[in-house]
Amino acid sequence: MPSILRLVLPHGLLLAATVLLYAVASRIASNVGAGRIGPDAWPKAILVLMGALCAWEIVRRLATRPRGAAGADPGEGNDAGPPLHPGKLAAGIGLVIGYVVVVPWMGFFAATAVFLAAFPWFGGTRRPALTAALGLAGSFALVVIFMRVAYISLPLGAGPFQELSLALLRLIGVS
Amino acid sequence: MDVLPLLATGFGHLFTPVNLAVLAAGLVLGMLVAVLPGLTLVMGVVLALPFTYKMGVAPALILLTAMYVSGTYGGAITAILFRIPGEPMDVPLIWDGYEMARKGEAALALGWSLVAALVGGLVSAVVMVLLAKPVAGLALAFSTPEFFAIVFFGLASVVTLSQGSLANALISLCLGLLIATVGVDEVYGAERFTFGQPFLQDGVEFLLVMVGAYGIGEVLTRMGTGFAAEGGEAGSGAARFRTAFPRLSSILGMKATFARGTATGIVVGIVPGAGATVSAFVAYGIESQYGKNRAALGSGAAEGIVAAKSAATASVGGALVPLLAMGIPGSGATAIILAAFLLHGIQPGPQVFVANPDLVYTVFATVFAGVIGMCILGYFAIRPLCKVLEAPEAIVSAFVVVFCFVGAFAARNNLSDLNVIAAFGVLGFLFERYGFPIAPLVLGTILGPLAETNFMTTMVSFDNDWTVFFTRPISGGILALAFAGLAWPLAKAVLQRIRASRSAHGQPG
Repeated sequence: MPSILRLVLPHGLLLAATVLLYAVASRIASNVGAGRIGPDAWPKAILVLMGALCAWEIVRRLATRPRGAAGADPGEGNDAGPPLHPGKLAAGIGLVIGYVVVVPWMGFFAATAVFLAAFPWFGGTRRPALTAALGLAGSFALVVIFMRVAYISLPLGAGPFQELSLALLRLIGVS
Repeated sequence: MDVLPLLATGFGHLFTPVNLAVLAAGLVLGMLVAVLPGLTLVMGVVLALPFTYKMGVAPALILLTAMYVSGTYGGAITAILFRIPGEPMDVPLIWDGYEMARKGEAALALGWSLVAALVGGLVSAVVMVLLAKPVAGLALAFSTPEFFAIVFFGLASVVTLSQGSLANALISLCLGLLIATVGVDEVYGAERFTFGQPFLQDGVEFLLVMVGAYGIGEVLTRMGTGFAAEGGEAGSGAARFRTAFPRLSSILGMKATFARGTATGIVVGIVPGAGATVSAFVAYGIESQYGKNRAALGSGAAEGIVAAKSAATASVGGALVPLLAMGIPGSGATAIILAAFLLHGIQPGPQVFVANPDLVYTVFATVFAGVIGMCILGYFAIRPLCKVLEAPEAIVSAFVVVFCFVGAFAARNNLSDLNVIAAFGVLGFLFERYGFPIAPLVLGTILGPLAETNFMTTMVSFDNDWTVFFTRPISGGILALAFAGLAWPLAKAVLQRIRASRSAHGQPG
């Protein structure tokens, strides 16, 4: 990605979102009489401020970027934190989103067991027996804590996963 | 003086077997999250929130307040012994505490830290009790312009005190305020930013933003940059650690340092948005400027420990004053305590002193008992707390994510909320990555409805005359302070540039 684009990308995206949201805010329906401020006034005021800040930051970054250093990435110095492991990050985001997607049909117990085993594995704990045992034992312990002790109703899943969840609940005395 | 009987009633509520057990659990959990790798105090309090849904309101507040109190201490142990600050507030302890440990005075450094936490915590608790009711009484006389001004001041403080770019902090705040507008608006009943999605009609719960951005965002950040190596080795020498108290004469000889640190903690704690971390750094800075032993600071001076630790613990009492008296959280942890209040149908503010005084004074009693319990725990539990450092960060983080999801789901039993929290988790990571502070986003989401309602009500009541915010003395004064706070970083930058340019041209400055 060209360095200038990378430099202004976060604020550019936010500015684009601001413009789109302002258009949405302009269509907020209200029956307010003339001369009075309606329900669109507050979000529009925020959007104007946000858009101005994004535009100002883009201009400031472009105006103060170091010039002449071929290949240098002016954005790195300003915003970027410690070096990223893209694979680990992608795995982390994928696991978090995957957990949200599968929990309705796998149920809390099975989805959590898989998550608790997979997350440390991708995070660097490469001990299959430990992570597998941790997944099962950890998920079971969380079911007991949340559903037996704290009385929180968690997703049971569908089909065979629902049967599994119900059997587990019978086992721990939650009918 | 009706404070003492009310405080006695608060202690009466606290000293029941169930509430005492909850207090003890809160103290232990608070210390654990402050020590555990990958967990911060705010995240810990967030994770405890789902367990309070089915509790009564008093035990829920006792649990979270106790966690808040003891979470300010646990990280001191690891900072002094291993140079691992459990929380950002513990960084100043490395400069002198760890240096003392290297000189073979680790036990004494821990002792100073414990005494500082005790003194700072108890004095701030007394000030909190004395100050909260008068502030609430004052707030009762306020109308909507004054409340808008106070909320604006709180939001401005969060932005001003955020580290890094002021523009990014303001953008983060705007996004938070915007998220708070999603759903059906309270004044006109109009739908805003729902995009035809029924689950957005009720708005976006600030709990989802908070848990997603703070909890999941932090875990993704740590995973992306690589978790710490499996099982820290720091805890391996835990068996030899202990705490040794300083002599009374030494403590009395440092009373000015105690006073400065504690006063700084209380004052900074009261400012909305500034918590224990800002308090600790400001107090250390003041000590290094005005302390009797300032030259030795940074090389293992007890004054450095006392200033930072007394301020960090004193900020707890300070931060609870605006929360209880005006419904404005003074720190990240008090924002979650505010959430606990709201989840139980109670709005903190001046009315809570009239409608639920028992509850308010139970919170006060919890701070007193929590500070003492924290010190007892800090003295005796030092070895097991050090062993906790051996927990692999990747495994702890996996459990943190699951706790975040359960917390988000259990609030409304709505599976759509899981998508929302995952989205805010990714947003939290991106914010962290690109230098946008998360605190203004969260505070904007929490205080946005309060700000908008008071703004809109004022505009309706005063015929769209916006000058009323500036012409009424109290709201005008508060807004002037807020704008001055916002302008200060800009003015400071301009002054620094002028000074730099003068010195570059060899002119006297």
